[in-house]
Formats: sequence, C-alpha cells, structure tokens
Amino acid sequence: MKTLQSVRGTSLPTTVALRGKPLNWRHYVVILLFCGFTLLWMLPATWSLVTSFRYETDIQRDLIGFSPFPFTTTHYERILGDGLVARWFLNSLVVASTRVVIQLTLCSLAAFAFTRIPFKGKRIAYILVLIGIMVPFEAILIPIYLFFADLHLHNTYIALIAPEVASPLAVFLLTQFFQEIPSELDEAAYLDGASRLTVYRRVILPLAGPVLTTLAIFTFLSTWNEYLWPLVSSTNRDALTMTIGLRKLAETFGHQTRDLGLKMAGAWVGGIPILIFYFIFQRRIVSGIKLTSGFR
Amino acid sequence: MFTLAQGRVVRDTISGYLFLAPFFVLYCILKLWPIVNGFWISLHHWETIGTNISFLGLGNYQRILQDRLFWEAVQHTLYFTALSTPTLIIGGLCLALILNQPLFSGGVFRTLYYLPNVLSTPVIGLIFLAVLGASDAGLVNVFLGHLGISPISFLLDAGWAMPSIAFAALWWTVGFNMLIFLAGLQGIPEEVNDAARVDGAGDWQRFWRITLPLLRRPLMLVTVLQVISSFQVFGLIDVMTKGGPGGQTRSIVYYIFERSFMQYQLGYGSAIAFILFVVLFVLSITQLRLFSQEEDVI
Repeated sequence: MKTLQSVRGTSLPTTVALRGKPLNWRHYVVILLFCGFTLLWMLPATWSLVTSFRYETDIQRDLIGFSPFPFTTTHYERILGDGLVARWFLNSLVVASTRVVIQLTLCSLAAFAFTRIPFKGKRIAYILVLIGIMVPFEAILIPIYLFFADLHLHNTYIALIAPEVASPLAVFLLTQFFQEIPSELDEAAYLDGASRLTVYRRVILPLAGPVLTTLAIFTFLSTWNEYLWPLVSSTNRDALTMTIGLRKLAETFGHQTRDLGLKMAGAWVGGIPILIFYFIFQRRIVSGIKLTSGFR
Repeated sequence: MFTLAQGRVVRDTISGYLFLAPFFVLYCILKLWPIVNGFWISLHHWETIGTNISFLGLGNYQRILQDRLFWEAVQHTLYFTALSTPTLIIGGLCLALILNQPLFSGGVFRTLYYLPNVLSTPVIGLIFLAVLGASDAGLVNVFLGHLGISPISFLLDAGWAMPSIAFAALWWTVGFNMLIFLAGLQGIPEEVNDAARVDGAGDWQRFWRITLPLLRRPLMLVTVLQVISSFQVFGLIDVMTKGGPGGQTRSIVYYIFERSFMQYQLGYGSAIAFILFVVLFVLSITQLRLFSQEEDVI
C-alpha cells in the first residue's frame, strides 16, 4: 500500500498517448463504432423526446419518425395546461428544498457535536448513527406509515419531508469532513471569546461549504426522485410529488400505444427540469458520487 | 461544589447534548424506534390503521415459510439480481475502459451515459413502456419487424418481462457504475502500465494482470451496492408491469407493498420487511467494511 501511495503521489497527470501522433484508420473505425453504439444506446431518450413533439396521427401512422416536423407542442400544452402538473412540480420543489435545509442544519449540528465537543455517551450515539446507515427504508416503511397516519399527517408536506430529515449518512459524511478541519482554527476563535454556536456558524460551516453543497444537491435529487414513501403517503391528487404524479400518468398507459405523444411529453416534463438541474451542478454531482458512493 | 474541571465537563456535556439533540430526537423517532416498532407490528395480525389487531407471536413468520407467493417473490428477486448485477458491472466496466482511452477522454460521452441516472423511476418506466411497447408495437418491435422477426410482447410475456425490466435498469443506472470504475481507473498510475508495456505485456495481459487486480476494491464495492439495490427492486416493476404478467415480476419489495398497502395486511407485510431488513443489514455491514478499507488505499 505504502509504495503504491508514494507512486501515486509523484505521478504526473495522465499523458495523452495520442498527442502529436496522427490518427490512423483503425482509430477512426473505433471512434465510428463507439459513436454508433452511443447513438443506438441513446435512442430510447432521443426517440421518445422526438415523439413527444409529433402529432398523434403521425405517430400512429409511423411509430419511428426522427423528423420532428410537422412539429407540435400540443402534448406539452395539454399536460402543462392541466394545473395538476404545476401543482406536483411545486410540491416536489417545496418538499425537496425544505428537506435539504432542515437535514443539513440538523446533521451539521450533530456532526459538530461529534467532532468538536467531548461529552458522555458520544461513542454510543455515534454507533447508533452508523447502524442507521445500514437500515433500508423498507424496514421502517410500515411503522413510519402508521406513525404519520396516527398523526393524520398523510397528504401533507410534513409527511413528505420528515422521513430522512435526520439522515445518518449525512451525519457520517459531515463528521468525516469536520474532522479534517484543523482544531487550531476554533481554538483561536474561542480565545477571542466566541461561543460554540459562533464557532459552528462562523468557522466550521463556511469551511464545509463544498461538502455541504454536494450533500444539498444529492439530497435534493434523491428527494425529487423518491418513490416508495410519497407513493404510500400521498394519495390525494393535489398532494402528489412530480415523481408520483408521473407514475399516475404511466398507470393510464396500460399496454396501448394510444396517446403515446402525450405520455412521452409527460415523461419529459418530468425529465427536463431534472436534466437542467444536472447540467447546472454537473461537476459537484460527479465529485459527490465519490463522496457518497460508499453508502448509496 | 464542582471543581473548575468538573464544571467544564458538565458544561461540555450539556452543550454536546444540545447540539446533538435536534438531530438525535428526530432520528430516534423516525428511524431507530420504527425498527423496533416494525418488529413489534410483525408479531401481530394487524389490519390497516388500528382496526383488528391481535397478537400472533411468530405466527406471521411461520406463515411466510409456507407462503408460496413469498418464495416466488424471493426467486423473482434473485432472478432480477442475477440478470442485472453482472450486466451492470460488466457494462459499467466496459464503458469505463473505453472512456478511459485518450480517444474518448472528453466529458461528452461520460455525460451521455450518466444522464439517465438522474431521471426518476416513472420517467424511465414511461420511456421503456414505449420502447418495448404496448403489446406488439413499440420501438424495438418496429425494428424487429424490419428484420422479419415477429413482434414480442416484452412486458406481457412471462419469459420476457423480467429481462425487459433488467434491461431498463441497465440503461438507467449503468452510468453510475461507469463513473465509479472510471475514478478507479484514473487512480492507476500510468507508470505501472508503462512498465508492463516495456516488459512486453500486451493489452489483454495488462488488463487481466494489472487493471483488474487494481480495480478489485471498486469492483467489490459496486458488486455489493448492486446486490443491495437489486434486492430492493420495486419502482420499475411498479411502473412497468405491476408485478405481472401472472406475478412473474413480483419482487420481494413489491410483495411487501401489495400485502401492506393493497391488501392492508400490515402485520404480515412487516414480517416480510423484517426478513428483508436482516438480509440487507448483513450485506450493508459487508459494504461498510469494504468502504472503510477503501479509505486506507486512496
């Protein structure tokens, strides 16, 4: 291990073997083949996107048409014109962003306690957190469902937001990160008479900016895409999230090709906002995968 | 009277608890207690909310042992795992190996293959309902028609339904594994490969002797992650087949969902969920150990 580390430490950025050398015909064949495969692989996405812009009569006549002309946005108008989709979108937005804010606040406070304050019972508390990471949601689905039913909270934002607000994984990752922040920084602040809360807000949180942002993005994305919980918790049409609303749309699909354009438009109404979100935060998402992959 | 040092300990303990409390109270209510409560519910005949509850002891568990549908669900889940895990690992690894070549080092391909991953279950489900189609139409069947092959009802055919779902899962999530492997590949120092090349090792030999052994940890990590998530397969089945045709795609989680939220047998559903929990917990401990070893290497 040691030798590997030292090699890695000194290694130069990967050299591009092709640099300076002209590409020969074999390279072109490989490039062409892989591009062809990629196009084929992406076909479900591109085809359904194109279909969502075609007239129903055209789709019925010829299922595969890659020309988006004659072009129509009627399907999108029908879907967005129905106020429900806008409502679902809003629900998802509120639920995901509220959960992000609450989760990061609670979990960073806890991580601060775990890394910066010596107190009795810390070890046991931390072990309990580690155990929680390994509990699949299915294990607590029914008790949680009954819990919110007793409180008459189903079909409300509270029920959609609350589970996973106290995320053990977030505490674990933040604890790991806070440990790396040198304690000399807070010692200096304490000497200046700062309180613990001030150190948390003014020293630790700013330094943890990158990891907090990454966690925020991941929580947002996974809440937006959450499936099982909103499916059982929200049953009123108005209270659905975007994801579960789309499921309703898929349910009306049956096994028929009727209204295919409309359904594909529905899929992309759900897909496009999240793709935009992805492109905005692309870098963070890729780096965040490494951060969270151990536990996803 | 406290000494100064004792006073400090007390103050630290109090502020420690204060910082921890908001998280920990909710954590106990929403995570730890439900685990215990879930087991308690599983010991009962428990229908819907608060009506018709009676203590059964381990009765539900005995019933599971003789429940044909449960064992079928286990089989279907294992079948899905057997279909999806190897394809997702090999597919992800192949993509990573290709994209690690200087020819394809731009981020475009990486983005394209990863993109489906951020889409939600129903989006993927809707797209693949259209691709695999609708009794005998659908994108794939149109292609098959051009090749002179008669249409296949992918989602209505007992033999094709699960492979179809596994394929949708492959399309959806292979990019995630690709990124993990890509990170692993980029961690392999170029010198190691250069040295092997100087020693006359061919591409194939270098792959088997150098790349693969050095990717051992990401490979194990991805395998465990993949098995865990395959055991939990639910969403795609719910959108695409509803467990059909004839229950052929009813997975364990789908069965829990059916029992608990369609037939309102919450006690019985809890018992199945608890069994799944134990299995996944053991798998997760394996994962945690792999992950902590991972830390040492990188």
